[in-house]
Amino acid sequence: MVEFFAQLRARGASFRLSKGAFHRISAILTVLILIVIFSVASPAFSSTNNAMTILLQTSVIGMLGIGLTLVIITGGIDLSVGSVLALAGTVTGLVIKAGVPVLPAMFIGVAVGALCGLINGFVVTKMRITPFVATLGMMMMARGVALELTGAAPVSRLGESFSILGQGRLFRIVGEGPHGLPSVVFPGIPYPAILLLLVALSVAYLLRRRATGRHIYATGSNEEAARLAGVKVDRTKIIAYTLSGALAGLAGIVLMSRLGTAQPNEGVMYELDAIAAAVIGGASLMGGVGTIGGTIIGAFIIGILRNGLNMAGVSSFIQQIIIGFVVIVAVYIDQMRNRR
Amino acid sequence: MSKPSKNATPLVDMKNIEKHFGGVVAVNNVSANLYAGEVVGLLGHNGAGKSCLMRILSGAMTPNEGVISVNGEKVELKSPLDARDLGIETIYQTLALANHLNAPSNLFLGRELKTPFGNLDDKRMLEESRQVLHRLNPNFKNLLDPVSSLSGGQRQVIAIARAIYFNVKILIMDEPTAALGPSETAMVSELIQELKNQGIGIFLVSHDMHDVFDLCDRVMVMNKGRNVGTHHIEDVTKDDVLSLIIKGELPGGWTPGKKEAVQ
Ligand SMILES: Nc1ncnc2c1ncn2[C@@H]1O[C@H](COP(=O)(O)OP(=O)(O)OP(=O)(O)O)[C@@H](O)[C@H]1O
Ligand SMILES: [Mg+2]
Repeated sequence: MVEFFAQLRARGASFRLSKGAFHRISAILTVLILIVIFSVASPAFSSTNNAMTILLQTSVIGMLGIGLTLVIITGGIDLSVGSVLALAGTVTGLVIKAGVPVLPAMFIGVAVGALCGLINGFVVTKMRITPFVATLGMMMMARGVALELTGAAPVSRLGESFSILGQGRLFRIVGEGPHGLPSVVFPGIPYPAILLLLVALSVAYLLRRRATGRHIYATGSNEEAARLAGVKVDRTKIIAYTLSGALAGLAGIVLMSRLGTAQPNEGVMYELDAIAAAVIGGASLMGGVGTIGGTIIGAFIIGILRNGLNMAGVSSFIQQIIIGFVVIVAVYIDQMRNRR
Repeated sequence: MSKPSKNATPLVDMKNIEKHFGGVVAVNNVSANLYAGEVVGLLGHNGAGKSCLMRILSGAMTPNEGVISVNGEKVELKSPLDARDLGIETIYQTLALANHLNAPSNLFLGRELKTPFGNLDDKRMLEESRQVLHRLNPNFKNLLDPVSSLSGGQRQVIAIARAIYFNVKILIMDEPTAALGPSETAMVSELIQELKNQGIGIFLVSHDMHDVFDLCDRVMVMNKGRNVGTHHIEDVTKDDVLSLIIKGELPGGWTPGKKEAVQ
């Protein structure tokens, strides 16, 4: 496998592909290989229905991963996204219970996530606490608040409209079956997947076309140089953490909406999947490197692995082992590529 | 221009600057000034405090004591942006480049060119960079590579280009030619002459006595954080300066203008 990548790399170099593009291509190839393997292992895997399920499952990790990519490019880390997801989702549920209509309630949820991120940003930049410790603290606090607010019980009976975002589908086609029963011709594209696409496009635009995006890269690449060049380094970092929090909030609402209830225990360890997605996608924990396209592919690699292994009847313990292994291999390949 | 009249207002006037790091006194009660169209060479042994003094003027470091005036007005340089607003540009000894970004992104970092919609105008930044970089090094090709993959000299050229591209009035060059080859170094000397003729004031930190005597109007020598002497270049010989650098004092029996008498 490693040799295979080495060969590919040599070929890539002769075509004068950029490092980023090459990484993207090898990651897409990995996705294709996974799809082939899982399709052979279980025929149900390659059904349209299951493809849409994977899209749905990947949406949440994808959104968290995009937020983490921003933070990782600045040279930081955000361990709080799993807990912030739970807090934002439960606050949305509680606010709806209190009588607020669904849409404004969801905005409140995203705002709660953004607020958590803003606090992370302040603790990291103004109090000069390392990102690992700052966001570890937020991870515990956000989870604690979510559990305290709900008494650790799920917030249910939120009404049908609460579930539209997570369960609705675009272009769902239902035809008439053989016995006059409805049969699903095309299951439809899940709204969360469409939302993920919109989020990915806007954040990619921010990173590539806006000065703020350039400053995010510069800050992670060489913070002192960025500061000397007049980049407002603290402000740039605060923006990254706030966006990460807001996206965690959005992911929380999507997830709870899909479940139909707001659960304070959801999202435990999701931050690790999100970090893995970013890292598999080529983001460097040293800062300065990472793309949204890469992270999306990374999220799909994890989503497909989980789904395919489930379909093939592999236990969740073995799944952990495999995903852990994949993360290490992905980073190893990336390092070899950079050492060249 | 080499001997500015005493009553003109200096471009930069630094008075009684102090900087300590714990017990280390990096800059010890140093005063210095710079006039328009003048090049002041700053010399001293390693660790003498040259870079610290220059970083204080570029807003990258805050002094513990001292007053800085620009064009006769007292200024507070709290950040590099404050200095930049006054037309102070710096080529840092460390170059201060973001390794993962390419040359145009580094050149325009912090003051990117934008389209009317506020998007980054990468095309124009590339074009402008190409022009200013080619002027310093005609062989500069790989403009779109991350600067980490460039040679030390190419990186230095980017740092220089960044300082002169914008509207500079006061230029700080901290060992700008340390990584440059002979032809690039000659190009930088030419550049210094040109900027000087435009009325820009330049602080040139260097260890190269030859360059200093070629380019500077005055020399200032630092020794263990102190300013041990500022002299017009015609008043001193290389040996005098060397003595200032090493011992912190002029050779015994020195009088101004002795240079001509010896030769
Ligand atoms: N950020 C810092 N923290 C602590 N000490 C510092 C710092 N920057 C400089 N110093 C100390 O201040 C003193 C002066 O350093 P400076 O960099 O100004 O020397 P220099 O004259 O530029 O030397 P060189 O010729 O080697 O560049 C040194 O003793 C150095 O160790
Ligand atoms: Mg120095």
